[in-house]
Amino acid sequence: MDTQWPRWEVFKQDTPHKPHQAVGSVHAADPQHALLTARNIFARRPQAVSMWVVRADDIFSRTKEELAADPVNMESEKTAALRPYVVFRKTSHRRSMTFVDYVGEVSARSPEEALKQARAKFTDVEALAWWIVPADRLTKSDPSNETIESWFAPAKEKTYKQQQYYATVGSHVSKHKTGREDTDEA
Amino acid sequence: MRHEIKQALIAKLTALADDEVILSHRNSEWTGHGPILEEDIALANIAQDELGHATVWFGLRKELDGSDPDQLAFFRDAGEYRSAELLELPKGDWAFTMLRQFLFDLYETLWLEAAKHSSYQPLADAANKILREERFHLQHTYAWVERLGLGTEESNRRLQEALEFQWGYAQQLFVPTPGEDLLVAEGMVPDLGAIKAQWLEHSSKHLQNSGLKLPINPGYQPTSRTHHTEHLWSILAEMQSTARWDTEAKVW
Repeated sequence: MDTQWPRWEVFKQDTPHKPHQAVGSVHAADPQHALLTARNIFARRPQAVSMWVVRADDIFSRTKEELAADPVNMESEKTAALRPYVVFRKTSHRRSMTFVDYVGEVSARSPEEALKQARAKFTDVEALAWWIVPADRLTKSDPSNETIESWFAPAKEKTYKQQQYYATVGSHVSKHKTGREDTDEA
Repeated sequence: MRHEIKQALIAKLTALADDEVILSHRNSEWTGHGPILEEDIALANIAQDELGHATVWFGLRKELDGSDPDQLAFFRDAGEYRSAELLELPKGDWAFTMLRQFLFDLYETLWLEAAKHSSYQPLADAANKILREERFHLQHTYAWVERLGLGTEESNRRLQEALEFQWGYAQQLFVPTPGEDLLVAEGMVPDLGAIKAQWLEHSSKHLQNSGLKLPINPGYQPTSRTHHTEHLWSILAEMQSTARWDTEAKVW
């Protein structure tokens, strides 16, 4: 029996005018649990105003290479109802973290059709990878001010906010040489 | 500030800080041993937050008597600590730890909500600051109580056992510290009687909605913070050993 909890992809929004970005994944029992652990893991110190989670199984993803090798077939689900899909796109290999950014929404009858629309609609930058998510599968953190204050505001006052700060706290052993240690070394 | 008010405030701030120090250290014992990596990290976060709250309360005490927070945390013996016994109990299983954290988070959140209106401005400011994090802690442990209570037969049984053990201990959180009535009369701290009524209402509702039975016999209810469980000596021995061994600890 597989005892692992399902995997959830986590999207973090740094400020109100930036897109939600995929920052990593968590294992959790349910969407609310995933949001709670995601907040602890990805927003304890880094800046954030909102988080989304979605089950990894609910993401339809294709890389540029996959699309070149095997174009997506959209003929299968003509009879299904239109539903909104959320589109995420990766456009750069430069960042140390593999950000996949929110770019917008499309309305389609299947993830394949949503991907086709996304490729036609979001053409400003070449996409290295697409993630297509049914909008109703995304679970979002509460947008109220009280939650933003409770979940994200305390991060501003934490020490060690960024890795580069680590070296500035504490000091090297050589600065604390005492007579006794000098004798030990002699 | 009148002498007896000041003494009462020092006693209250010490109790608040000591609860946070001991609970924080208990939770830190899960680091590397959590049931899943995500929860291991989450509980380590909560432990650090509680220690941060202790620093805030010790800081307010320092303004009154010039005491050094590190001295209070690392160089006081068990007999001088004013922690509640609930927080001293060994961490037990995950259900035990989550239930204790829930009972404490709920008490702390309700107390802080009321303490925001303290007539002693430094305390009102501190309550406002701490409350933000505490609301998140409570959401986390609230969720865990629900999931364990309504999860499997085994998770429900473990949580029920934890509840029967802790329920009486938890009542000590509502026993006033020496001179606290003076502080309440001055509007400096909330009346614990009112906080307890809210706590009983909210905790009973959530525990029962999570498939648990409230204990009929509340069991042992500690009353004085000068008395401690035998566990306080061993937790302090571990927590204080490094500081007492190398008081400067400049090199790491």
